[in-house]
Amino acid sequence: MQLKIWHKMIIGISIPALIALFGSLWTYEYINDVKDRHGYVQIADDLRENVLEVRRNEKNYLHYKDTDYFNYLIASINALNRSIKIIPPATIDEIGKNDFLLLNETATNYTALTERLHDNFRQEINSIEQVREQGKKLENYATTGKLSAGLSLNFILNLRRLEKNYMLFRDRDSFSKLDRALFQLKDLIPSCYECIPYVEAVRSLFASYEKSDSVIRELQIAGDNLEETTVRIAQRERQHIAWFFTKTQRFMFMALILLCAIGPLLVYKTASYIVAPIIRLTEITKKIAEGDSSLRAPLKEHDETYTLAVSFNTMLDNLQLTHHSLEKSLELLHEQHMEAEKRASLGFLVSGVAHELNNPLNNISLTAETMKEDLNELSTEELKEHIQDIVTQSERAKHIIEELLDFVGTRKSAVMEKLDIINALAESINLVANQLKVSHIQLKKDIHKIPVFIKGNQNKLEEIFVNIMVNAIHAMKESGELTIYAKPDVNEKFIIIEISDTGCGIPEKELKNIFEPFYTTKQHGAGTGLGLAVARSLVEKHFGDISVRSEVGKGTTFTIRFPLYEEENQGPVAVGRG
Amino acid sequence: MGDKLHVMIIDDEPIVGKRLKRLLEKEDFVVETFTRGSLAIEELSNKHFDIIITDLMMGIVDGIQILEFAKTSYPDVRVIIITGFGKKETSEEAFRKGAFDFIIKPFRVEELREVVHRAAKELKAG
Ligand SMILES: Nc1ncnc2c1ncn2[C@@H]1O[C@H](COP(=O)(O)OP(=O)(O)OP(=O)(O)O)[C@@H](O)[C@H]1O
Ligand SMILES: [Mg+2]
Repeated sequence: MQLKIWHKMIIGISIPALIALFGSLWTYEYINDVKDRHGYVQIADDLRENVLEVRRNEKNYLHYKDTDYFNYLIASINALNRSIKIIPPATIDEIGKNDFLLLNETATNYTALTERLHDNFRQEINSIEQVREQGKKLENYATTGKLSAGLSLNFILNLRRLEKNYMLFRDRDSFSKLDRALFQLKDLIPSCYECIPYVEAVRSLFASYEKSDSVIRELQIAGDNLEETTVRIAQRERQHIAWFFTKTQRFMFMALILLCAIGPLLVYKTASYIVAPIIRLTEITKKIAEGDSSLRAPLKEHDETYTLAVSFNTMLDNLQLTHHSLEKSLELLHEQHMEAEKRASLGFLVSGVAHELNNPLNNISLTAETMKEDLNELSTEELKEHIQDIVTQSERAKHIIEELLDFVGTRKSAVMEKLDIINALAESINLVANQLKVSHIQLKKDIHKIPVFIKGNQNKLEEIFVNIMVNAIHAMKESGELTIYAKPDVNEKFIIIEISDTGCGIPEKELKNIFEPFYTTKQHGAGTGLGLAVARSLVEKHFGDISVRSEVGKGTTFTIRFPLYEEENQGPVAVGRG
Repeated sequence: MGDKLHVMIIDDEPIVGKRLKRLLEKEDFVVETFTRGSLAIEELSNKHFDIIITDLMMGIVDGIQILEFAKTSYPDVRVIIITGFGKKETSEEAFRKGAFDFIIKPFRVEELREVVHRAAKELKAG
């Protein structure tokens, strides 16, 4: 999949954005819902208002019991019913079908009860009329004394008073007083025929009152129910809203936490997703800069860094190619340089030989010529001296040629065989022992006690050591200390030999010359400058190496290393010396 | 004889001094030999020489130094340089600095004699 940095960034940004968007949409839905709920609360409040109007009219009607108030009550009930009817069924479903069913039922019931009550009230009025009429009649009978039973007027008047009270208060007390009076009347005069209609009228009033009261109770209960239901609906909707608010609040809080927690994480992840390959590339660049040019950028991410890595790698390949060809050219240059150096040192060698041989040659020819010219004038002593000079100078020339041949290596090849280097060193020390004594030089030895074998040639090894030790003796002139160390290294791969003196030392800038053939600081005739050149050449023939460290005025140390004998390379091998 | 020419020979090969001293004394020169340049210079600073024969390649004090010293002290002095072959550059330098002539080692006696006589003749004429 080709995911560009651009895409990664879009993904990184759009995930938190999507979270925020979904959160907002959800909240929007919630708020819409809350708005609806608010409408429902309004409806519930309106219904309640209607119900309260009904209750108010109900109270008035129950109080005045007249047709006007009845009509008001009926009107308000109708208003309530209308209000209920115009509520859309969807809303009813939302608010609660059961409540509405109950509300409807109760309202219908209420209407029916109201109408029954109205009928009752009319009956009541009749009954009251009846009671009043019969009461008056009875009163008339009493005043006119026409009452058969001879009831006292007072009793009748008292009865009428109780009757009025009862009609006025319609309570239990006045009822029981009237009832008792009526029973008294019946008990006292069971045969009072004039009394019967009155008693019956009162009894019917009792009945209609009782009936009305029961209807009123029912009506009031229904009214209460109406009120309760509407209150319940309103309350529930309010609760709904409150619940919505709490929920929204909680959700918002959660969303906030989520955004706070996930947002930075996502941004971090995206950033690192983008930056990681760049960092990798940077690290590789650093490593390559440090020298590991074989490294390549990993081709992991398929984005712009991929292209970058590819170009980077191509660049590196080219760089390495250039580097290789540069190295090749350098090698070539180096070879040429070595060649030039060889030629130069050959020139040095030739001119050195020339100069070295010139002097003894010149001495010989000069002496010979003098002898030829003055042969008759020279005494025997003088002749002897001349001849001796010629012999010495010839020897000198011969020695130079010998050393030179030794150095150039044209003499017969030396046999290389397994030998004890410790022994070779001891032999070399013996060879210079006399010179040491003459020069008052102390010898200090730190030499391995048991034989150490290398592959080499005894004579050549001795030549190496003697050359170096003689130089040391010359450097110390009179008195000093020669220290000889010889031990295998820790890895048992080499024998290390150190020859140290307490002589004059070698200046730093001369150190590189001392192994050159014919380099010497000694007087003419005293040294040819071949000793160290021969020594180095011989060390190299033994696959060893030689180095020197020196401090002017303190002394010089030559260190030689030879590889130890290895069993697999057995048998003497003839190696051309040179 | 007061008009004898004084010759100084410097060569770190003692045989050269020995042979040339005998050779030139026979020719009526007064000869002194040195194997060390430093000693020769010391001698030069308190004594006059007419002809100096010096080797060019010596240890610490070389022929060129002797030439320079002698020429500044006694402009008239004739300095003959003995040198090994193949040292063209130093020879040219020596000429620039007032060397009288060159003799290349190994040299024939006749060769040397001719150069010394030429120098002596010039000195006597001058
Ligand atoms: N142990 C030493 N202390 C101080 N200088 C040294 C020492 N060994 C070598 N040298 C310096 O290195 C020069 C070269 O030494 P090398 O042995 O090659 O030649 P040489 O001793 O001068 O002559 P030859 O050994 O041929 O007789 C010496 O002339 C000397 O100046
Ligand atoms: Mg030496």
